Amino acid sequence: MIYIKKCFLVILVLVCSCTNSNTKYIGRIGMTCMDLTNPFFKLIANVMEEEALKKGFQLVALSGDQDPAKQNNQIIDFAVQGYDAIFLNPVDSKSSGEGVKKAYSLGVPVFTFDVQVTDKEAASLIFSHIGSDNYQGGQLAAKSMMKVTGDIGDIAVLSLPRITSCKLRVDGFRDYLKQNNSRIRIVTELSGEGSRDEGFRVATDILQAYPDIVGIFAINDPSALGAYSAVKKAGKSEQIKIVGFDASPAGKQAVFEKQIVDSPQQFPRKMAVGTVNAFFEYLDGNSLPKNSFIPCEHYYHDNSINDKSRINEEW
Amino acid sequence: MKNLLLQMEAICKTFPGVNALNNVNLNLDYGKVLALVGENGAGKSTLMKILGGAIQPNSGKIKIEGEIKKIFNPQISQKNGVSIIYQEFNLIKDLKVHENIFLGREITKNGFVDTKLEKKLSINQFDNLGVNIDPDIACNKLSIAEQQIVEIAKALTLDSKIIVMDEPSAVLTEKEVKNLMRIINDLVKKNIGIIYISHRLDEIIQISDNILILRDGFHVNHFETKRITKKQLIENMVGKSLSIDFPKRKSIIKEEVLRIESFSKKNFFSDINFKVNQGEVLGFAGLLGSGRTAIMRSIYGADKFDSGKIYKNNQEIHIKNPIDGIKNKICLLTEDRKKEGLILNHSSQKNFGLPNLKNFSKNLIMNESKEVKSFKNYINDIKIKIDSPKQIAKNLSGGNQQKLVLAKWLESNADIIIFDEPTRGIDVAGKREIYELINDLSFEGKSILFVSSDLEEIIGMSDKIIVIHEGRIKGSLKVDKKLTQENILSIALG
Amino acid sequence: MKKFINNYGMVFILAALCVLFSFLTLKEQTPDSKNILNQFIEKVKSFEKNEIIILCVGGKNTKSAEIAMELEISLKQMGFSNSSSVVGTPADLKKKLIKMMENSNYPNFIIMNKQISTWNVLESLKKDNIIYGSTEEFFPKSNLFPDFLKKTNLIAIVDRIVVIAILAIGMTFVIITGGIDLSVGSLIAVSAVVGTSIMKSMGGVNASADIVFIGFVLGILSTMIIGCIGGFIVAFFKVPSFITTLAIMLIGRGLAFMITDGFSIYQVPESLIWLGQASSFGLPNTVIFLIILYLIAHFFLSRTRIGRYIYAVGGNEEAARLSGVPVNFIKIFVFLICGFTAGLGGCIQASQLNSGTPNMGIMYELYVIAAVVVGGTTLSGGSGKILGTLIGVFVISVIQNGMNLIGIESYTQQVVLGLVILIAVVIDKSKSHNFFVQFFNKIG
Repeated sequence: MIYIKKCFLVILVLVCSCTNSNTKYIGRIGMTCMDLTNPFFKLIANVMEEEALKKGFQLVALSGDQDPAKQNNQIIDFAVQGYDAIFLNPVDSKSSGEGVKKAYSLGVPVFTFDVQVTDKEAASLIFSHIGSDNYQGGQLAAKSMMKVTGDIGDIAVLSLPRITSCKLRVDGFRDYLKQNNSRIRIVTELSGEGSRDEGFRVATDILQAYPDIVGIFAINDPSALGAYSAVKKAGKSEQIKIVGFDASPAGKQAVFEKQIVDSPQQFPRKMAVGTVNAFFEYLDGNSLPKNSFIPCEHYYHDNSINDKSRINEEW
Repeated sequence: MKNLLLQMEAICKTFPGVNALNNVNLNLDYGKVLALVGENGAGKSTLMKILGGAIQPNSGKIKIEGEIKKIFNPQISQKNGVSIIYQEFNLIKDLKVHENIFLGREITKNGFVDTKLEKKLSINQFDNLGVNIDPDIACNKLSIAEQQIVEIAKALTLDSKIIVMDEPSAVLTEKEVKNLMRIINDLVKKNIGIIYISHRLDEIIQISDNILILRDGFHVNHFETKRITKKQLIENMVGKSLSIDFPKRKSIIKEEVLRIESFSKKNFFSDINFKVNQGEVLGFAGLLGSGRTAIMRSIYGADKFDSGKIYKNNQEIHIKNPIDGIKNKICLLTEDRKKEGLILNHSSQKNFGLPNLKNFSKNLIMNESKEVKSFKNYINDIKIKIDSPKQIAKNLSGGNQQKLVLAKWLESNADIIIFDEPTRGIDVAGKREIYELINDLSFEGKSILFVSSDLEEIIGMSDKIIVIHEGRIKGSLKVDKKLTQENILSIALG
Repeated sequence: MKKFINNYGMVFILAALCVLFSFLTLKEQTPDSKNILNQFIEKVKSFEKNEIIILCVGGKNTKSAEIAMELEISLKQMGFSNSSSVVGTPADLKKKLIKMMENSNYPNFIIMNKQISTWNVLESLKKDNIIYGSTEEFFPKSNLFPDFLKKTNLIAIVDRIVVIAILAIGMTFVIITGGIDLSVGSLIAVSAVVGTSIMKSMGGVNASADIVFIGFVLGILSTMIIGCIGGFIVAFFKVPSFITTLAIMLIGRGLAFMITDGFSIYQVPESLIWLGQASSFGLPNTVIFLIILYLIAHFFLSRTRIGRYIYAVGGNEEAARLSGVPVNFIKIFVFLICGFTAGLGGCIQASQLNSGTPNMGIMYELYVIAAVVVGGTTLSGGSGKILGTLIGVFVISVIQNGMNLIGIESYTQQVVLGLVILIAVVIDKSKSHNFFVQFFNKIG
């Protein structure tokens, strides 16, 4: 039995020593996002790592795995360890405030990206936030929806209420319609959970209840594609137009294939580079704008035809 | 000279502390029925398990059709033509008849099971046996007799040359027994050898050609059936074993302390009436499965019963679970002390304390030193051989485990103590100590209910003996010098 | 002594892990101000004290801030009259330097530390051609000390595992009786959500501490009732605890989402954070709470009647029943306790996160069971010690914390943790069956 315990310790040491090479960097940055399995965040992590390395910083990327407590523990571990900065994409906009406050009290600056911290006290402690202008993106989506439906008819919205960035998209969408006196009527808003299969299921149910809708707005591409499958299955792809969000590789392809009309584009690379640059500005002693919002852009079929990034299946 | 179908020569088998078989010989000829007879614990089932490959002998040879065979496991036994039909049957009740018959040797066509052919072959077998059973129904829908026939059919499809039947008639009605006898006769005509284990002497005399008697692991005698009378048979079964000197008993028997009236439980026992007096040792004799254990468990509250009344000190008491039993100062030392009497992985002290925690605690908090002290007293009093109170119960010898169980119940201040096979698996010296303990207890005024399959033991220990047969009281005998084991056995056999 | 190893052998593994991680997290740490002072004085001994201009820099809220201010005072006392300090962010340093430039008071020496060394202020000023004149950055020699053993880290180790540790108490009770409870993770969410909903509806942000207390009580009560029902089904309907608690896990999670409609509840009183985030007597309240709970649980299991019954039911249920143990009551009792600890854990987590969310505690049951088994309690029941569970909890926390400190990637961490659990269970089985002895005998 002692034999087994010894083996186990040896394995642990080997694993640890493989990754213990923080002596050649001049500093360390800790990054934690809501879900590292999402290619959106994986891409951001990779770009951040590259950018940070340019000035000799190591970036350690962790996944919060949708668990607010886990993420807060990660933030605290970074702070206790004296990391030079923390890049945070909150799992939960309110609870992450606790972790931010702890980091601040230990003197580690926190920069957020994509999703903001909404706890008032914590938000004031954040050095800067960079994210897509989700609200504006929602407006773009509304504009496209008005155009493609001739500004008349009933539509449905597939949302994801517990993520603030998605909530902002829906807010922008609704407000734009209202401000422009649109004749479009939103008959229902349900959560597509941001995923393809849930989007499919929910859209199917919506079609049962509202068979005459002319459009669906989904807050991201996966749920938009799920909705498209439902619409196609019901044989209504001519009748119902779909607007997605993100312009992820799958979304771009769907736009190209005319399954989706528009997918307001986010620029994760810009977000990643922007966050790292904000940190470098901080180091230089320069002041930073509190919030930077990267405007989204339409991604229409015309945009997609010769788009190299679509052909290469990249963001 | 033609070879015998089966020869088991000088089979020896020991289990820790017990000599199960000593140089036992068994011969079986083609087309003959050999009855294997003996009391519980004589070694019959051990011998058959060796033949069936379930256990290995320490020494001895098995020859089938003249060739020595090493039977390492049941598959090899089966391959050599041996089929054993156990008392509990080996059928898978949810599967269909034909699926059971061909279990493990399914008939396939193109990779799929050919159910049609299986059913056809099954029906053939049933025709041979003169019965009518639908091969397509699940076995749990068959009657016990029909299930037994399915087992026989299975043995036949395996081309078994030797079929062992363990207490086949115990579960059959008279009519079905007659049918079974007919089937056995037919099998015999096919030159199949049958080993027939049973307690029913009339059947044995009717069906068998030869009888082999085992006693305490020895083969005592074998006879040709037609040359022996029933009386001689019983004498040989009982015999004169190594006699244990039973400690002298001085009984002081006072008034009635427990009375059972019209005690019944469907399928287990019916209309049981008896009473126990203070200071008395009441023995319960009967064959295995006669229902004695079930009665005792119901009295204590371990199992429920259907109807009847229990009176303690002339007042009716209601026993629904062991907590009631303990409350009424009744306790039960179970048949299987390892599985039901002790928590083997816990310390002896913890086992001792378990029913008695109230004695060693104030409010809800345990006073361990009080518990240890009390336990040590018992260790001295009843001489439990133990290194320390914290020793794990698993590591005690059988006799000391039994004493540990006794200690725990004595502490609970029970005045009615039920012993169910208390000396099973215990060596001679250990047995003696337990007998003395029981005597001491009865002398102190406790009342003892004593269940045992060892007739000598029951006679030696009891003041009175009640004989149970198939769930009913068949006799009530006072113990005096004239009482013999034969008396009891003949009643127990029905 | 042998018994100690048997029961608490894991403590050696824990010690070994602590040593390992101390070794792997050795880092240069900032020395204290006295040390720096001595080193600096040694360096500038050839200079005139009045003539050199010294600037001490400290990062906001860090130890270096205190040190910088202390250094300024000490230097002045020692005669270095032109000493000053600046504490804050790089922007603050930049402002200070520019001001000093404007007053022609540009520093000759800037006393640095490792954190400040990553700041880029000087380079940035040079690039903008704002500085002229040379300045020397003085790096005091630092000593090596493991990050793992820093007081803040040790407290963090306990703090992060508090919820799991409390749940592990109830789980130990259940596992000792031979059962298991898969629902504890979702019961955390139920308790947190019920509690914070009550707080929200009874005043929200402005409610008093009493409301917090009421919310907690009702949250815990709800999980206790659920635990009771689960125990009842296991005891009287003889449904295996695995399936029963699996179903409750799904129901509980669904209930939590139903109550909140998927949102998190953050309209909670300020006093909510007291339990999970405040400190008393120098230790976080959670740590104090943990110690008290474990002491009570240890006493209960080892010194009371019910504790004995719990072990008996797990050791041999039938023998226990025949010895007069109220088996069904005990079974319901342990699931009740498990529900209680889950509810308590939910309250603490709500306090730590200052909100109640329905997706709290996902997968926690796995870690809780792992901690209990690693701590020496066998899954088949009948044995196990509460303090062993505590050790198991710390083993897991130390491994997680250590891996974070070293910077091991998320998914590697998961693999390592899974391996730990697997190995612990294998060792657990081998203890009871001498498996390895047999195995090595067979091949040997």
